[in-house]
Amino acid sequence: MRIALVNGSPKGGASNSGILLEKLKPLIAEGNELSVYRVNVKPLKPEQYGELNEADVLVLAFPLYFDAIPSHLLRMLVEFEQYRQSKQGNTDLIVYALINNGFYEGHQCKIAADIVSNWCSRSGLRFGMAVGHGAGEMFKSLSRVPLGKGPLKNLGAAMHQLSAAIHARSSAESLFIQPNFPRIAWRLAATHSFWHAQAKKNGLRPKELRRQAFQQSR
Amino acid sequence: MRLIVHDLAEPEYDAWLSGFCRETDEVIGLEGDIRHCVGCFGCWVRTPGTCVLKDSYKHMGERLAACEEFVLISRNVYGGYSPFVSNVLNRTLPYVLPYFTTKNGETHHQQRYERQIRFTVHFYGEGMTGAERETAQSLVGANALNLDASGYTVAFHDTLVSLKEVQ
Ligand SMILES: Cc1cc2nc3c(=O)[nH]c(=O)nc-3n(C[C@H](O)[C@H](O)[C@H](O)COP(=O)(O)O)c2cc1C
Repeated sequence: MRIALVNGSPKGGASNSGILLEKLKPLIAEGNELSVYRVNVKPLKPEQYGELNEADVLVLAFPLYFDAIPSHLLRMLVEFEQYRQSKQGNTDLIVYALINNGFYEGHQCKIAADIVSNWCSRSGLRFGMAVGHGAGEMFKSLSRVPLGKGPLKNLGAAMHQLSAAIHARSSAESLFIQPNFPRIAWRLAATHSFWHAQAKKNGLRPKELRRQAFQQSR
Repeated sequence: MRLIVHDLAEPEYDAWLSGFCRETDEVIGLEGDIRHCVGCFGCWVRTPGTCVLKDSYKHMGERLAACEEFVLISRNVYGGYSPFVSNVLNRTLPYVLPYFTTKNGETHHQQRYERQIRFTVHFYGEGMTGAERETAQSLVGANALNLDASGYTVAFHDTLVSLKEVQ
Protein backbone atom coordinates (compact mmCIF):
# COMPACT_ATOMS: atom_id res chain seq x y z
CA MET A 1 0.00 0.00 0.00
CA ARG A 2 0.98 3.62 -0.41
CA ILE A 3 1.97 5.41 2.74
CA ALA A 4 2.44 9.19 2.69
CA LEU A 5 4.63 10.50 5.50
CA VAL A 6 4.20 14.20 6.16
CA ASN A 7 6.85 16.06 8.12
CA GLY A 8 5.03 19.13 9.41
CA SER A 9 7.90 20.81 11.22
CA PRO A 10 8.47 24.35 9.91
CA LYS A 11 12.18 24.26 10.82
CA GLY A 12 14.55 24.86 7.95
CA GLY A 13 16.78 21.86 8.54
CA ALA A 14 16.70 18.84 10.83
CA SER A 15 13.60 18.40 12.96
CA ASN A 16 12.35 16.16 15.72
CA SER A 17 9.35 15.24 13.59
CA GLY A 18 11.84 14.10 10.94
CA ILE A 19 13.76 12.00 13.49
CA LEU A 20 10.51 10.29 14.55
CA LEU A 21 9.58 9.55 10.94
CA GLU A 22 13.04 8.07 10.30
CA LYS A 23 12.52 5.76 13.28
CA LEU A 24 9.09 4.71 12.02
CA LYS A 25 10.14 4.08 8.41
CA PRO A 26 11.98 0.75 8.82
CA LEU A 27 9.02 -0.63 10.78
CA ILE A 28 6.53 -0.01 7.97
CA ALA A 29 8.73 -0.25 4.86
CA GLU A 30 8.18 -3.93 4.01
CA GLY A 31 5.72 -4.38 1.17
CA ASN A 32 4.76 -0.71 1.15
CA GLU A 33 5.61 2.30 -0.93
CA LEU A 34 6.68 5.22 1.27
CA SER A 35 6.81 8.87 0.18
CA VAL A 36 7.87 11.75 2.39
CA TYR A 37 6.43 15.26 2.13
CA ARG A 38 7.73 18.32 3.90
CA VAL A 39 5.02 20.80 4.80
CA ASN A 40 6.65 23.96 6.04
CA VAL A 41 5.85 27.59 5.44
CA LYS A 42 5.73 26.83 1.70
CA PRO A 43 2.35 25.36 0.79
CA LEU A 44 2.01 21.99 -0.96
CA LYS A 45 1.48 21.96 -4.73
CA PRO A 46 -1.89 20.85 -6.15
CA GLU A 47 -0.35 17.65 -7.54
CA GLN A 48 0.97 16.82 -4.09
CA TYR A 49 -2.53 17.16 -2.65
CA GLY A 50 -3.58 14.77 -5.40
CA GLU A 51 -0.94 12.25 -4.31
CA LEU A 52 -1.93 12.49 -0.63
CA ASN A 53 -5.57 12.05 -1.64
CA GLU A 54 -4.80 8.78 -3.45
CA ALA A 55 -2.64 7.30 -0.68
CA ASP A 56 -3.83 4.44 1.56
CA VAL A 57 -2.25 5.77 4.74
CA LEU A 58 -1.32 9.26 5.85
CA VAL A 59 1.10 9.78 8.75
CA LEU A 60 1.19 13.36 10.02
CA ALA A 61 4.31 14.09 12.07
CA PHE A 62 4.40 17.53 13.66
CA PRO A 63 5.49 19.57 16.68
CA LEU A 64 2.96 20.81 19.22
CA TYR A 65 2.46 24.61 18.98
CA PHE A 66 0.32 26.30 21.62
CA ASP A 67 -1.25 22.97 22.54
CA ALA A 68 -2.40 22.54 18.95
CA ILE A 69 -1.27 22.18 15.33
CA PRO A 70 1.26 24.74 13.97
CA SER A 71 -0.53 27.33 11.79
CA HIS A 72 1.23 26.46 8.52
CA LEU A 73 0.23 22.79 8.86
CA LEU A 74 -3.31 23.74 9.90
CA ARG A 75 -3.58 25.74 6.68
CA MET A 76 -2.57 22.61 4.75
CA LEU A 77 -5.23 20.56 6.55
CA VAL A 78 -7.90 23.12 5.64
CA GLU A 79 -6.74 23.12 2.02
CA PHE A 80 -6.74 19.34 1.93
CA GLU A 81 -10.30 19.23 3.30
CA GLN A 82 -11.33 21.59 0.48
CA TYR A 83 -9.38 19.53 -2.07
CA ARG A 84 -11.28 16.41 -1.02
CA GLN A 85 -14.58 18.17 -1.55
CA SER A 86 -13.67 18.67 -5.20
CA LYS A 87 -11.86 15.38 -5.83
CA GLN A 88 -13.02 12.30 -4.02
CA GLY A 89 -9.74 10.35 -3.99
CA ASN A 90 -9.39 7.37 -1.65
CA THR A 91 -12.59 7.14 0.40
CA ASP A 92 -10.91 4.80 2.88
CA LEU A 93 -7.81 6.87 3.59
CA ILE A 94 -6.64 6.38 7.21
CA VAL A 95 -4.68 8.97 9.18
CA TYR A 96 -2.14 8.55 11.99
CA ALA A 97 -0.57 11.38 13.98
CA LEU A 98 3.00 11.33 15.30
CA ILE A 99 3.26 14.37 17.55
CA ASN A 100 6.15 15.62 19.65
CA ASN A 101 6.17 18.45 22.16
CA GLY A 102 8.76 20.47 24.00
CA PHE A 103 7.51 19.96 27.53
CA TYR A 104 8.24 16.70 29.28
CA GLU A 105 4.74 15.23 29.40
CA GLY A 106 3.56 13.62 26.17
CA HIS A 107 -0.07 13.79 27.28
CA GLN A 108 0.01 17.53 26.52
CA CYS A 109 -0.35 16.40 22.88
CA LYS A 110 -3.85 15.05 23.53
CA ILE A 111 -5.71 18.17 22.33
CA ALA A 112 -3.73 18.27 19.07
CA ALA A 113 -4.57 14.58 18.53
CA ASP A 114 -8.26 15.43 19.02
CA ILE A 115 -7.95 18.24 16.47
CA VAL A 116 -6.54 15.76 13.94
CA SER A 117 -9.42 13.41 14.72
CA ASN A 118 -11.99 16.22 14.27
CA TRP A 119 -10.31 17.12 10.97
CA CYS A 120 -10.73 13.50 9.84
CA SER A 121 -14.47 13.63 10.60
CA ARG A 122 -14.84 16.82 8.55
CA SER A 123 -12.77 15.51 5.64
CA GLY A 124 -14.20 12.02 5.25
CA LEU A 125 -11.02 10.40 6.55
CA ARG A 126 -10.61 7.59 9.06
CA PHE A 127 -8.63 8.41 12.23
CA GLY A 128 -6.22 5.60 13.18
CA MET A 129 -4.39 6.66 16.33
CA ALA A 130 -1.91 9.20 17.64
CA VAL A 131 1.42 8.87 19.38
CA GLY A 132 2.41 11.95 21.38
CA HIS A 133 5.94 12.10 22.80
CA GLY A 134 7.23 14.70 25.26
CA ALA A 135 10.72 16.20 25.65
CA GLY A 136 11.03 16.34 21.86
CA GLU A 137 14.12 18.53 21.76
CA MET A 138 16.03 15.64 23.40
CA PHE A 139 15.80 13.43 20.31
CA LYS A 140 18.82 14.89 18.57
CA SER A 141 21.11 14.10 21.50
CA LEU A 142 19.74 10.54 21.55
CA SER A 143 20.49 9.83 17.91
CA ARG A 144 22.82 6.93 18.76
CA VAL A 145 20.36 5.25 21.14
CA PRO A 146 18.56 2.34 19.45
CA LEU A 147 14.78 2.48 19.44
CA GLY A 148 13.38 0.54 22.40
CA LYS A 149 16.51 0.97 24.52
CA GLY A 150 17.30 3.25 27.48
CA PRO A 151 15.49 6.60 27.23
CA LEU A 152 13.79 5.44 24.02
CA LYS A 153 12.16 2.40 25.61
CA ASN A 154 8.66 3.89 25.72
CA LEU A 155 9.05 5.24 22.21
CA GLY A 156 10.05 1.77 20.98
CA ALA A 157 6.90 0.20 22.42
CA ALA A 158 4.70 2.98 21.04
CA MET A 159 6.26 2.80 17.56
CA HIS A 160 5.69 -0.94 17.60
CA GLN A 161 1.96 -0.44 18.27
CA LEU A 162 1.74 2.35 15.73
CA SER A 163 3.39 0.31 12.99
CA ALA A 164 1.16 -2.70 13.75
CA ALA A 165 -1.91 -0.45 13.40
CA ILE A 166 -0.55 0.99 10.13
CA HIS A 167 0.11 -2.48 8.67
CA ALA A 168 -3.45 -3.51 9.54
CA ARG A 169 -4.88 -0.10 8.62
CA SER A 170 -6.75 -0.26 11.90
CA SER A 171 -7.67 2.20 14.62
CA ALA A 172 -6.25 1.85 18.12
CA GLU A 173 -6.02 3.75 21.39
CA SER A 174 -3.71 6.78 21.18
CA LEU A 175 -0.50 6.72 23.24
CA PHE A 176 1.01 9.68 25.10
CA ILE A 177 4.48 9.04 26.48
CA GLN A 178 7.79 10.61 27.49
CA PRO A 179 11.40 9.42 27.51
CA ASN A 180 12.54 6.93 30.15
CA PHE A 181 14.57 9.67 31.76
CA PRO A 182 13.67 11.50 35.00
CA ARG A 183 11.86 14.79 34.56
CA ILE A 184 14.22 16.68 36.85
CA ALA A 185 17.24 15.54 34.83
CA TRP A 186 15.51 16.47 31.59
CA ARG A 187 14.70 19.93 32.95
CA LEU A 188 18.30 20.60 34.00
CA ALA A 189 19.64 19.37 30.68
CA ALA A 190 17.13 21.45 28.71
CA THR A 191 17.93 24.61 30.67
CA HIS A 192 21.72 24.32 30.64
CA SER A 193 22.69 22.21 27.64
CA PHE A 194 19.94 23.55 25.41
CA TRP A 195 18.81 27.10 26.17
CA HIS A 196 21.97 28.40 27.80
CA ALA A 197 24.18 26.73 25.21
CA GLN A 198 22.18 28.34 22.39
CA ALA A 199 22.26 31.73 24.12
CA LYS A 200 26.04 31.48 24.44
CA LYS A 201 26.38 30.75 20.73
CA ASN A 202 24.54 34.02 20.13
CA GLY A 203 26.79 35.90 22.53
CA LEU A 204 24.13 36.23 25.24
CA ARG A 205 24.40 35.53 28.95
CA PRO A 206 21.63 33.47 30.59
CA LYS A 207 20.37 36.56 32.39
CA GLU A 208 19.80 38.31 29.08
CA LEU A 209 17.27 35.69 28.00
CA ARG A 210 14.91 37.25 30.55
CA ARG A 211 15.03 40.63 28.84
CA GLN A 212 11.68 42.41 28.77
CA ALA A 213 10.73 44.23 25.62
CA PHE A 214 8.18 46.99 26.21
CA GLN A 215 5.84 48.89 23.96
CA GLN A 216 6.89 52.50 23.89
CA SER A 217 3.93 54.81 23.58
CA ARG A 218 0.99 52.85 24.85
CA MET B 1 -6.67 47.96 26.89
CA ARG B 2 -7.84 44.85 25.04
CA LEU B 3 -5.85 43.23 22.26
CA ILE B 4 -8.32 41.67 19.84
CA VAL B 5 -7.36 39.21 17.10
CA HIS B 6 -10.09 38.20 14.66
CA ASP B 7 -10.40 36.40 11.34
CA LEU B 8 -13.50 38.13 9.96
CA ALA B 9 -13.51 39.56 6.45
CA GLU B 10 -13.97 43.32 6.31
CA PRO B 11 -17.73 43.44 5.53
CA GLU B 12 -18.45 40.89 8.29
CA TYR B 13 -16.30 42.83 10.69
CA ASP B 14 -18.04 46.08 9.88
CA ALA B 15 -21.48 44.51 10.19
CA TRP B 16 -20.98 42.52 13.36
CA LEU B 17 -17.96 43.68 15.23
CA SER B 18 -17.38 47.37 14.79
CA GLY B 19 -19.75 47.89 17.76
CA PHE B 20 -17.89 45.32 19.84
CA CYS B 21 -14.62 47.21 19.79
CA ARG B 22 -13.94 50.15 22.06
CA GLU B 23 -11.76 53.08 21.21
CA THR B 24 -8.99 51.91 23.49
CA ASP B 25 -8.84 48.43 21.93
CA GLU B 26 -6.10 47.34 19.63
CA VAL B 27 -7.46 45.21 16.80
CA ILE B 28 -5.55 42.78 14.61
CA GLY B 29 -7.38 41.50 11.54
CA LEU B 30 -6.59 39.74 8.29
CA GLU B 31 -5.06 42.74 6.54
CA GLY B 32 -1.38 42.71 5.71
CA ASP B 33 1.09 39.87 5.39
CA ILE B 34 1.92 37.60 8.25
CA ARG B 35 4.69 35.02 8.24
CA HIS B 36 4.37 31.63 9.88
CA CYS B 37 6.59 30.81 12.86
CA VAL B 38 9.55 28.72 11.67
CA GLY B 39 10.32 27.16 15.05
CA CYS B 40 13.81 28.69 15.35
CA PHE B 41 13.46 29.85 19.00
CA GLY B 42 15.23 33.08 18.01
CA CYS B 43 12.66 34.97 20.12
CA TRP B 44 14.12 33.17 23.16
CA VAL B 45 17.83 32.84 22.41
CA ARG B 46 18.79 35.47 19.78
CA THR B 47 16.66 38.55 20.34
CA PRO B 48 14.96 37.68 23.65
CA GLY B 49 11.38 38.94 23.74
CA THR B 50 11.14 39.79 20.02
CA CYS B 51 10.56 37.53 17.02
CA VAL B 52 13.36 37.45 14.42
CA LEU B 53 10.99 37.35 11.43
CA LYS B 54 10.72 40.72 9.78
CA ASP B 55 7.08 41.65 9.56
CA SER B 56 4.60 43.66 11.63
CA TYR B 57 3.99 40.71 13.99
CA LYS B 58 7.50 40.53 15.42
CA HIS B 59 6.48 42.44 18.56
CA MET B 60 3.55 40.20 19.54
CA GLY B 61 5.20 39.33 22.86
CA GLU B 62 5.35 42.91 24.09
CA ARG B 63 1.96 43.75 22.59
CA LEU B 64 0.48 40.97 24.69
CA ALA B 65 2.33 42.27 27.72
CA ALA B 66 0.79 45.71 27.17
CA CYS B 67 -2.86 44.60 27.27
CA GLU B 68 -5.19 43.72 30.14
CA GLU B 69 -7.27 41.31 28.12
CA PHE B 70 -6.36 39.18 25.12
CA VAL B 71 -9.43 38.45 22.97
CA LEU B 72 -9.56 35.97 20.09
CA ILE B 73 -12.50 35.83 17.70
CA SER B 74 -12.07 32.79 15.53
CA ARG B 75 -13.95 30.35 13.39
CA ASN B 76 -13.95 27.01 15.16
CA VAL B 77 -11.74 24.92 12.89
CA TYR B 78 -11.64 21.23 13.93
CA GLY B 79 -11.91 22.26 17.58
CA GLY B 80 -9.18 24.90 17.42
CA TYR B 81 -8.50 28.35 16.00
CA SER B 82 -8.54 29.23 12.32
CA PRO B 83 -5.19 29.28 10.48
CA PHE B 84 -4.88 33.09 10.74
CA VAL B 85 -5.71 33.35 14.45
CA SER B 86 -3.43 30.42 15.19
CA ASN B 87 -0.70 32.06 13.10
CA VAL B 88 -0.88 35.22 15.25
CA LEU B 89 -0.99 33.13 18.44
CA ASN B 90 2.07 31.12 17.36
CA ARG B 91 3.92 34.41 16.94
CA THR B 92 3.31 35.35 20.60
CA LEU B 93 5.90 32.82 21.82
CA PRO B 94 8.30 35.61 22.97
CA TYR B 95 5.67 36.56 25.58
CA VAL B 96 6.89 33.64 27.72
CA LEU B 97 10.35 32.44 28.74
CA PRO B 98 12.08 29.26 27.59
CA TYR B 99 12.38 28.25 31.24
CA PHE B 100 10.07 25.79 32.94
CA THR B 101 7.86 25.72 35.97
CA THR B 102 5.61 22.96 37.30
CA LYS B 103 1.85 23.61 37.54
CA ASN B 104 -0.70 20.96 38.47
CA GLY B 105 2.10 18.40 38.19
CA GLU B 106 2.85 19.39 34.57
CA THR B 107 5.64 21.37 32.96
CA HIS B 108 4.73 24.87 31.76
CA HIS B 109 6.52 28.14 30.96
CA GLN B 110 7.99 30.67 33.30
CA GLN B 111 6.69 34.16 32.54
CA ARG B 112 8.77 36.95 31.05
CA TYR B 113 6.45 39.64 32.40
CA GLU B 114 5.16 40.03 35.95
CA ARG B 115 1.64 41.10 35.17
CA GLN B 116 -1.11 38.74 34.12
CA ILE B 117 -3.68 39.10 31.35
CA ARG B 118 -7.24 37.83 30.96
CA PHE B 119 -7.89 35.47 28.07
CA THR B 120 -11.23 35.48 26.24
CA VAL B 121 -12.11 33.43 23.17
CA HIS B 122 -15.21 33.63 20.96
CA PHE B 123 -15.56 30.69 18.60
CA TYR B 124 -18.10 31.03 15.83
CA GLY B 125 -19.32 28.76 13.06
CA GLU B 126 -22.41 26.97 11.87
CA GLY B 127 -22.77 23.32 12.77
CA MET B 128 -19.92 23.01 15.26
CA THR B 129 -19.96 19.41 16.48
CA GLY B 130 -19.98 18.41 20.15
CA ALA B 131 -16.43 17.14 19.76
CA GLU B 132 -15.29 20.43 18.23
CA ARG B 133 -16.75 22.40 21.13
CA GLU B 134 -15.17 20.08 23.69
CA THR B 135 -11.73 20.21 22.06
CA ALA B 136 -11.93 24.01 21.75
CA GLN B 137 -12.86 24.33 25.42
CA SER B 138 -9.83 22.24 26.46
CA LEU B 139 -7.55 24.12 24.10
CA VAL B 140 -8.36 27.52 25.56
CA GLY B 141 -7.83 26.16 29.09
CA ALA B 142 -4.45 24.75 28.11
CA ASN B 143 -3.40 28.02 26.42
CA ALA B 144 -4.51 30.02 29.46
CA LEU B 145 -2.32 27.87 31.67
CA ASN B 146 0.76 28.37 29.47
CA LEU B 147 0.14 32.10 29.14
CA ASP B 148 -0.43 32.24 32.91
CA ALA B 149 -3.72 34.10 32.31
CA SER B 150 -5.46 35.43 35.42
CA GLY B 151 -8.66 33.83 34.10
CA TYR B 152 -10.27 32.73 30.85
CA THR B 153 -13.66 32.60 29.15
CA VAL B 154 -14.80 30.57 26.15
CA ALA B 155 -17.97 31.34 24.20
CA PHE B 156 -19.53 29.63 21.20
CA HIS B 157 -21.66 31.40 18.58
CA ASP B 158 -23.61 29.56 15.91
CA THR B 159 -23.97 32.72 13.89
CA LEU B 160 -22.21 36.02 13.59
CA VAL B 161 -25.45 37.64 14.70
CA SER B 162 -25.01 36.29 18.18
CA LEU B 163 -21.45 37.62 18.21
CA LYS B 164 -22.98 41.06 17.91
CA GLU B 165 -24.72 40.65 21.24
CA VAL B 166 -21.39 40.27 23.00
CA GLN B 167 -19.84 43.28 24.63
C1 LIG C 1 5.62 28.67 18.53
C2 LIG C 1 5.91 27.42 19.33
C3 LIG C 1 4.94 26.95 20.22
C4 LIG C 1 5.18 25.80 20.98
N1 LIG C 1 4.20 25.38 21.84
C5 LIG C 1 4.41 24.27 22.60
C6 LIG C 1 3.41 23.82 23.53
O1 LIG C 1 2.31 24.38 23.62
N2 LIG C 1 3.70 22.76 24.30
C7 LIG C 1 4.88 22.09 24.21
O2 LIG C 1 5.07 21.13 24.94
N3 LIG C 1 5.85 22.47 23.32
C8 LIG C 1 5.63 23.55 22.52
N4 LIG C 1 6.60 23.95 21.62
C9 LIG C 1 7.84 23.17 21.50
C10 LIG C 1 7.89 22.22 20.28
O3 LIG C 1 6.75 21.39 20.26
C11 LIG C 1 9.14 21.35 20.38
O4 LIG C 1 10.26 22.16 20.35
C12 LIG C 1 9.25 20.26 19.31
O5 LIG C 1 10.22 19.33 19.73
C13 LIG C 1 9.66 20.78 17.93
O6 LIG C 1 9.59 19.71 17.01
P1 LIG C 1 10.16 19.77 15.50
O7 LIG C 1 11.65 19.71 15.60
O8 LIG C 1 9.59 18.56 14.84
O9 LIG C 1 9.70 21.05 14.89
C14 LIG C 1 6.41 25.11 20.86
C15 LIG C 1 7.38 25.60 19.97
C16 LIG C 1 7.14 26.73 19.21
C17 LIG C 1 8.20 27.23 18.28
